[in-house]
Amino acid sequence: MKAVLLKAIRDLRRRRLQAAVVFVTTLLAVGTGTIALTLIAQTSDPYQTAFEAQKGAHLVVDFDGRVDPGTLAGTPALIGASAFAGPYRATDMQFQSGGHKYTVTAIARDNPGGDVGQLRITGGRWPSSGTEIALTRSFVDLNHVVIGDKLKVLSVPQAPVLTVVGLVVDIDELRADVGGQQHAWVIESAFAPLTTKNSTFYQMDYRFASDPTSPQMQTYLDKLRASLPPDSITSSISYIFARTVFHISTQILIGVLVAFSVFALAATAAIVANLVTGIVISAYREIGIMKAVGFTPAQVIGVFVLQILVPTAAACVIGIPAAMVLSQPLLASNSQALGLAYQATYSPGLGLLALAGALVIVTVAAVIPAFRAGRLRPAIVIANASAPRGQSGRWIRTLASLARLPRPVVLGLGDAAARPVRAILTVLAVVLGVATVIVALGETRTFNEIYSYEGHVGKVDVVVAKTPAFADADATQLIDLQPETTRVVAQANTNITAHGIADPINTLTFRGDSGALGYLLTSGRWFSGPGEVVANGGFVHDAHLNLGDTFTGTVNGAALKLRIVGVVYDFTAGPGGHIMMLDWSTVAPAVPDLSPSSYMVTLKPGSNVGAYVKRLAAAQPDLLDVQAASTGNTAFLSVIAAVLLGIAGLIALIAVAGIFNTLLLTTRERVRDTATLKTLGMSPRQVIGMVAASAGFLALLGGLVAVPAGVELYRLLFDQLSALGGNVTPPVFYDVYATWELIAIPVAGVVVAIAAAMIPARWAARTNVVEVLHSE
Amino acid sequence: MDGRTFFRAFRDRGGKSGVSELVRLTDVTKVYQGGITGALNGVSVSVEKGEFTAIMGPSGSGKSTLLNMVAGLDRPTSGGVAVGGTDLGKLGEAGLARFRRDHIGFVFQFFYLLPNLTALENVLIPAQLKGNAATGRARALLERLGIKDVEDKYPARMSGGQQQRVAIARALINNPTLLLADEPTGALDTHTGEQVMELLGQVHRDGQTILLVTHDAKLATRHAARVISVMDGKIVDDARLESPERAPSDVIRVRGEEVSR
Repeated sequence: MKAVLLKAIRDLRRRRLQAAVVFVTTLLAVGTGTIALTLIAQTSDPYQTAFEAQKGAHLVVDFDGRVDPGTLAGTPALIGASAFAGPYRATDMQFQSGGHKYTVTAIARDNPGGDVGQLRITGGRWPSSGTEIALTRSFVDLNHVVIGDKLKVLSVPQAPVLTVVGLVVDIDELRADVGGQQHAWVIESAFAPLTTKNSTFYQMDYRFASDPTSPQMQTYLDKLRASLPPDSITSSISYIFARTVFHISTQILIGVLVAFSVFALAATAAIVANLVTGIVISAYREIGIMKAVGFTPAQVIGVFVLQILVPTAAACVIGIPAAMVLSQPLLASNSQALGLAYQATYSPGLGLLALAGALVIVTVAAVIPAFRAGRLRPAIVIANASAPRGQSGRWIRTLASLARLPRPVVLGLGDAAARPVRAILTVLAVVLGVATVIVALGETRTFNEIYSYEGHVGKVDVVVAKTPAFADADATQLIDLQPETTRVVAQANTNITAHGIADPINTLTFRGDSGALGYLLTSGRWFSGPGEVVANGGFVHDAHLNLGDTFTGTVNGAALKLRIVGVVYDFTAGPGGHIMMLDWSTVAPAVPDLSPSSYMVTLKPGSNVGAYVKRLAAAQPDLLDVQAASTGNTAFLSVIAAVLLGIAGLIALIAVAGIFNTLLLTTRERVRDTATLKTLGMSPRQVIGMVAASAGFLALLGGLVAVPAGVELYRLLFDQLSALGGNVTPPVFYDVYATWELIAIPVAGVVVAIAAAMIPARWAARTNVVEVLHSE
Repeated sequence: MDGRTFFRAFRDRGGKSGVSELVRLTDVTKVYQGGITGALNGVSVSVEKGEFTAIMGPSGSGKSTLLNMVAGLDRPTSGGVAVGGTDLGKLGEAGLARFRRDHIGFVFQFFYLLPNLTALENVLIPAQLKGNAATGRARALLERLGIKDVEDKYPARMSGGQQQRVAIARALINNPTLLLADEPTGALDTHTGEQVMELLGQVHRDGQTILLVTHDAKLATRHAARVISVMDGKIVDDARLESPERAPSDVIRVRGEEVSR
């Protein structure tokens, strides 16, 4: 054992550069993997901690304002809730702050405590007068509102001004950055001035003795619905949905990190296998001598494997703790979002798991090629300094010669394929690197595409949000009066209930040429008249409907006969959410006071959107919110995009290390040939050209395989993402790459590979002919 | 065209006529790090165009170092080396590469054929590095050297003698001014070695200047017209065998005395 250790360490000293390659690639791979593992095995779930501490509601239900509050007080007993809070009076309130308009759900509540749904104040204090308001921390973080800001309420004609005095965490609502409408709180006496006729509704918080399941929750809602007048329930949120949405960014991150960790480890394994193969090939004589002096085959294998395990272990010792430290901000972000103090947590068991995983993968990758060394017969290998090379590169040389490429290039191309296994392993590393870049680029763009799509970018130029206080006719007239206006589609949000679906379905009701908004249909067609609806895949699935099926929807107590004519591609409903879209003529008869909440305006080509927005906003500064259509990308998606691109960059680096490693092996193995070529008159520049040609060829080959593989993988991942919203991806979303990019990516790979080749190339060019040939 | 005429035709295409100095080493000293083994110590010598000169000496005497200096593969610690009037000390790495490509043919003891190239491809390499297409000439050379049948074979499938012939063809493909041969028979059996030397003699008779390094005195005296003996980095004897006062046996005797010292 001592001899094995001694020989391995001495060899390691001799092969410092190769050890450095193993160290760097393992460091990157194990680092990525450890971050993924740390997130998966998050020792404490901050949401659960906060949910228990704040006595979170398992079910939050909004009731129509016409329901008797006394009746609502009896509902907890009806469904067996162990505790409850409410009914709280609530209303949708629009306000203006810093030139922007926002809508929140204002709730009347005198104190933040209670048996259910306690609010934790993380900044300032609870409102104590009629001119004060508390906002959620999630909302202020997203919109840069601070304590002391004055909010001008626009949803009531009196336009009272409220001062922000407190920031709170409400465990029962959705995060602001993933699109949930946020709560705000005023004291009971301050509530009435914020309401208009029929704008008040009630909110009840229910808590149960143990965490209910989804079907149980469905049963509770059905019981409530059955005991109350029709359409009494306007919406509901379960703790399961709130928790899923809260964790959605972490879940996506984990998925990305796990996928990319597998890529990184596969690339590292390919590089290690390549490296050991190269060392064995170039050390034939040495292996023979080792065996001649008494090393057993197992000991010979041990020498080679140890040489790899030492830098691997070193990379783990540095990489695993570093990755654990680097994961802390990601772990902390969830706690901080809930206003919880974050205590860094480190799991030694997880570190050991990462270490064991890395060592096992690298050992397997090293042992397989090292077996070759164990099997070699001493008498044969002592006579050969290195393994005989095949003629695998001949066909490439022949082709290159026919193409009249310069001789050094022809030789370099031949060298690249002279060792087929080495070439394949190198190409594999390149494929993984380039494919990852393609996937990361594609997914990042997809996020933007989805937001552009949801925001109707390209179809709509300006979105005008109207306060309820402003009449539809006046708003429409004002918009139509603008000379640039060519098309206006009005949108109202209504809730329609349908059999088999617990919550009322968020329904977008359009007036005007809604077909021009550019909604993509995964099947069927856009609605063309009363009674026709398009819905998202989630609704069609959960309601057990098919295209062409009819069903009854209820709005305002009136039954609507509806027919599914299309399935729309949609993300706004969220995971497991439901949405329908239909024409104004379908709903208007049942809802006489139906009024649009927004208008999507398309301008004449060449119009100045900025000037239009400014002019229209100035016409009704308090009653209209006028914004140019934009993607509205959220912060958490930006984080995911950054992580995606960052990891893709790391894996690309690993691939570059793979190329570097291969060239190092090849140039060292071919040092005598290079010396001979120099003797024959090959100039240093030609030597560099020869090595660069090898690198470029392998990178090009890898790139040519990686581009279609990466695009296909991207589609696969995107399909998974679409499936989250119950969608089938429309083909148009696959086209996120320009043709020139799909050409430029492998070309860039070639350029990077050639740059990486410069060190071994210069080393080869500087080969001292006399020393090399003398040593032979 | 017989063999002699063929090689002469090669020689005349790029060579110059008349007897004149081709190689000059002036007070060349070479000191290697860590010792003086293989070093040269103030060597001054010249070689004339058309000569077949053998440099003889035991292992470590400095004869290969001397050859490497002439080829521009190594640089002297002090002193100067000029070939064909070109001071090699003034050339950079790229310049030296061009110099070797244009003026030097090198034959090694262990052939040093590129293992992943066929015989024909090996012969063509120096011409292709120069940007010349010389397939016809390469084939003709292989034919004249009696190895036409191996042109598509890889080195691993050739005998030592065949490999060395391919190496000689490779050395001649660019019509070099000077052919350097470092122990060209050292890895061959006696019979094959003799054949290779005959071949070099034939090339010389066609006008090729040859500088041969060997430790085999009999071989040197049988084929070279001039034998320079090197010992401990110094020239200890310089014999022109055609001169009446220095018979081949005399050189062998001198060499034997040096070795026994």
